[in-house]
Amino acid sequence: MGEENPTPQDQARRLYEEGEARTARAMEELVGRDSFGELLARVTENAMALTRIGADLADTAIRNLRLAGRNDVARLGRQLARTEDKLEMVLQEVERVRERLDADAASPGAKDAGGSTRSSSRRSPAAKSRSSNSSAGARRSHAGRRRSAKRSP
Amino acid sequence: MNPVQQLTRLPRATLEFTNILLTQDDAEIAASPKDVVWTHRKTTLYRYRSADRVHPVPVLLVFALINRPHIFDLRPGNSFVEFLLSEGFDVFLLDWGEPGDEDADVGLESYVCDSLPWGIRETLRAAGEDEVSLLGWCIGGTLCAMHAALEPGGAARNLALLTTPIDTAGSLYGNWVGRDSFDVDQVADVHPAIPGSAIDWANKMMKPVTNYWTTYRNLWEGVLDGTARRDAYQAMAKWVADNPPFPSRAYREWITWMYKENRLVGGRLRLRGERVDLGRIEQNLLVVTAGADHIAPPPGTLPLLEAVASDDVTHFDRSGGHIGLMAGSRAKGEIWPDIADWLRERSGR
Repeated sequence: MGEENPTPQDQARRLYEEGEARTARAMEELVGRDSFGELLARVTENAMALTRIGADLADTAIRNLRLAGRNDVARLGRQLARTEDKLEMVLQEVERVRERLDADAASPGAKDAGGSTRSSSRRSPAAKSRSSNSSAGARRSHAGRRRSAKRSP
Repeated sequence: MNPVQQLTRLPRATLEFTNILLTQDDAEIAASPKDVVWTHRKTTLYRYRSADRVHPVPVLLVFALINRPHIFDLRPGNSFVEFLLSEGFDVFLLDWGEPGDEDADVGLESYVCDSLPWGIRETLRAAGEDEVSLLGWCIGGTLCAMHAALEPGGAARNLALLTTPIDTAGSLYGNWVGRDSFDVDQVADVHPAIPGSAIDWANKMMKPVTNYWTTYRNLWEGVLDGTARRDAYQAMAKWVADNPPFPSRAYREWITWMYKENRLVGGRLRLRGERVDLGRIEQNLLVVTAGADHIAPPPGTLPLLEAVASDDVTHFDRSGGHIGLMAGSRAKGEIWPDIADWLRERSGR
């Protein structure tokens, strides 16, 4: 019975594990203290200040060499990202127009795409009543109708 | 094993131990076959391939802005995605990608009001359905909750939130970054994209001995007595070490609004001018908390249960940590089936 007659090795192991667990708890208490939080804030502030100085120096050196620095590349990337944002908006607008045209073609009398052509909901009655007083119901029906307008990624 | 046996195994164990550490990047993670459905900037919507889709309502997985969503599909044989697919769900994943300096202008509004609803729209389109189940984990859960609060009658039928921070008062992270002396503006000004390694370091410092020592000691002992599971350790270690940057604007807003001002739980958070009122959440709601979670401790999530207007609210409180709850060795037999059951009951036509 190892429990009743532990070997010296078992005892040493148990002692070690207890010590480690106590150390872990002590460290968790330590990092939970206000003083540690304050220390972390100050260290972060200093690290950020040093990073800024280093980055400014590096950027100045790179620019003086007439090379594109990190900021220049990031600026280009940002322009691309904004263009993609605009493209996404245009695509969504095109889809809305297409849906409206499809809806008008399907029911010549319908002027409002979110009106009589709303797709049926599979939600519970309670959910239906919840969504009835929200414009999101119209959004859902849009999503349902857009199935036919699949677009490549 | 006696000391002599240990001594004889020492050279081989040392070689094995270092080999496991040095080759962890070779581990195969996120291996389930999937297709790109939609992309926008760094965000990608994936759909996992399946020949056995039974439940009409698709499941959209949303992970945090720190670490990669590969944890949903960690390794073959221990993958939540694989499990959901085997249960007949149509599974989608919204991957936020790896933001760079050019994404410094991406804020919480961009995630909650643009990328997430657009991802939902594309999910519905690809699945040919009108409704979706949102399953958010950690910050991903908070983003889903914000979205649901802004669009209570939207396409999300079910909302499953795993270890999600809602009320940050009294949290350890709040103690660190919520104090006035922590200058989040300075951090966000210096770094257009906050290095993921810095955020990972902060997360690990919450349990420094466990993360920086016990993990390796356990591995060493496992190697020494021949019980170490190389594939499990390497997959998790690879995932833990993969830390994408956090866009500076989103970081500034997350720290300020969630930790310094704790706006969400108080209903004082506004996105694009609209108040994020948790009381407007009407979806079927599942909240999963982990008893040993130090990043999103249960007391910080439970206020959501009282705040929402949902008629159907379920709460699972399980043992485990922030990640171990869903990715630990017992998750497959304990929490995954319960989540799948909850979803199944609410995913019919």
